[in-house]
Amino acid sequence: MARKPQEQPQLDMTPMIDVVFELIIFFVVTIKQEDLFTRLNANRPAPSTGSSSSDSDTTVTIEIGKGRDANGVLVYNKREMRRKELDQNLREVSRTSKKTPIIIRCTEDSPHKALVDVLDICYRNELFSVSIFTM
Amino acid sequence: MARKSQENPTLDMTPMIDVVFELIIFFVVTLTEAQRKDETIELEDGKHGIVLTPEELPPTHMQIDIASRDKTGKYLPRGRITMGDREISPSEIGLRVKERLRKIGEFPVLIRADFNCRHEAVARVMNACTEAGLWKISFMAVGEDKTSKPGRPGRKHLDALNRRGGR
Repeated sequence: MARKPQEQPQLDMTPMIDVVFELIIFFVVTIKQEDLFTRLNANRPAPSTGSSSSDSDTTVTIEIGKGRDANGVLVYNKREMRRKELDQNLREVSRTSKKTPIIIRCTEDSPHKALVDVLDICYRNELFSVSIFTM
Repeated sequence: MARKSQENPTLDMTPMIDVVFELIIFFVVTLTEAQRKDETIELEDGKHGIVLTPEELPPTHMQIDIASRDKTGKYLPRGRITMGDREISPSEIGLRVKERLRKIGEFPVLIRADFNCRHEAVARVMNACTEAGLWKISFMAVGEDKTSKPGRPGRKHLDALNRRGGR
């Protein structure tokens, strides 16, 4: 190391700082655009078992059909209800037992968003054993 | 391009600029690669589901996309099912699931279906999985929406619900 530090020209830091700022801005901009996604798990009945809805009266059945608008129709306890009402009903169910099995029956022409809404309401009320039937 | 040698040699910026451009191009390309999925699919809100993170979802998972419209915007009652970037039929999904089950055992299936899909399209995919021996299905939903406008059609009802106060 026979170099003399006094004669060495000083390294200009400006471009490096420029580059770092550019990278930071780039990452901030790209990271902000990410949506946060969730997943909602459900079970399917085995293909062979046809009728399991009558095994006990503690299961809760929610039916989803096609409605007048794009949101579909939710039927619980033979009564058509809105999402808010269903949420309240399921909260009661959840208070009794969180392990209550939920059965969702969808008609083929029901919108998928109704199914996701119902699953979300079940998750909101901590009812996680959900199975989906197609009618 | 003969450079004039000066008394004080300045730092050559060219390699640094080269490297920066290369980095930018690399990130842009990987980002678009990661986001290359069917952009026509709009998910319904599901704020209370399990938050999807790369750590939470095993890399062995299988994602199946279901769009409600074709590329020209025409509504398809039976949906358009794709995996990766390729259109796929339910029977093909069944074959793939069966093969994967044999190789690695149980794995999660994630269905990313448009909120506007008919249930029939989703049921076809679910039936294919069930017949192949997989009974657990996950649906993808939006936990927190940061890119779309607030008036997104899929979220009206749950907005009203969530105004009641979250947990």
